[in-house]
Amino acid sequence: MSLAQTGRRITLLGLVLLAGVYVRALAFTPLERFQGPAQKIFYLHVPAAWSAMLAMGLVGLCSILYLIVKDARFDRFAAASAEVGTTFSLVMLTTGPIWAKPIWGTWWTWDARLTLTLFLFFLFIGYLLLRGAVVEPGLRARYSAVLGICGLVLLPFIHLSVYLFRTLHPQPIVLKPSAPSLPGSMLVTLLVSFAVFTLLYVGFVTQRYALGLLREAQGKEHA
Amino acid sequence: MPDVPQNGGYMVAAYIVTAVILLGYAVSLYRRTNKP
Repeated sequence: MSLAQTGRRITLLGLVLLAGVYVRALAFTPLERFQGPAQKIFYLHVPAAWSAMLAMGLVGLCSILYLIVKDARFDRFAAASAEVGTTFSLVMLTTGPIWAKPIWGTWWTWDARLTLTLFLFFLFIGYLLLRGAVVEPGLRARYSAVLGICGLVLLPFIHLSVYLFRTLHPQPIVLKPSAPSLPGSMLVTLLVSFAVFTLLYVGFVTQRYALGLLREAQGKEHA
Repeated sequence: MPDVPQNGGYMVAAYIVTAVILLGYAVSLYRRTNKP
């Protein structure tokens, strides 16, 4: 089985399981009484944010490894992860405002967490544009590795922004030093969604990596 | 106990948008890796 086929199968499994997450979240997870149904956006928004940050984390790590060992596989994986991360960032940046409007009364506010996540999205876009703009493969890999490392440096600031600044965005309820502050059934739904989004990330990135290989073989890798 | 807010429309919109983005990207990858 080729890499692309493996990626397709993982993606297909991820999409089927995502449908299961929808059913569990919408039909079998209790309503939060203060926020109402809009709170259920949480089960998509938070895992999408996790996948976007996972993607950027791996872009950064692969960028460091590329600069150390100059192995093109790291550069290829970073490129794949950046494109997939852009997709998950888009989910995060669309579901966030849709959740914010009924709860905060506004679609968007320029507080630290929201601004930094928007910056993360722009970093993904910039990374992809940079790869498209530089033709020489060695230069392209080196320039984009530097940008990838900048993205990695941004991640702790995004996570800690809710502690460091006054912000409307809630503080973490799972990824924090103390125990998760969420009722059991909601926590299970969230953890299942985390697993499914991670699986989708793996499926997407495997396919995108295979696409990178294919383009290199055809001599037209520019992204 | 407070009344539960009636904001299901926002929830439906978010779930649809997520499905469209993820399915759209899956189709895009499928088409690009399948090109001759």
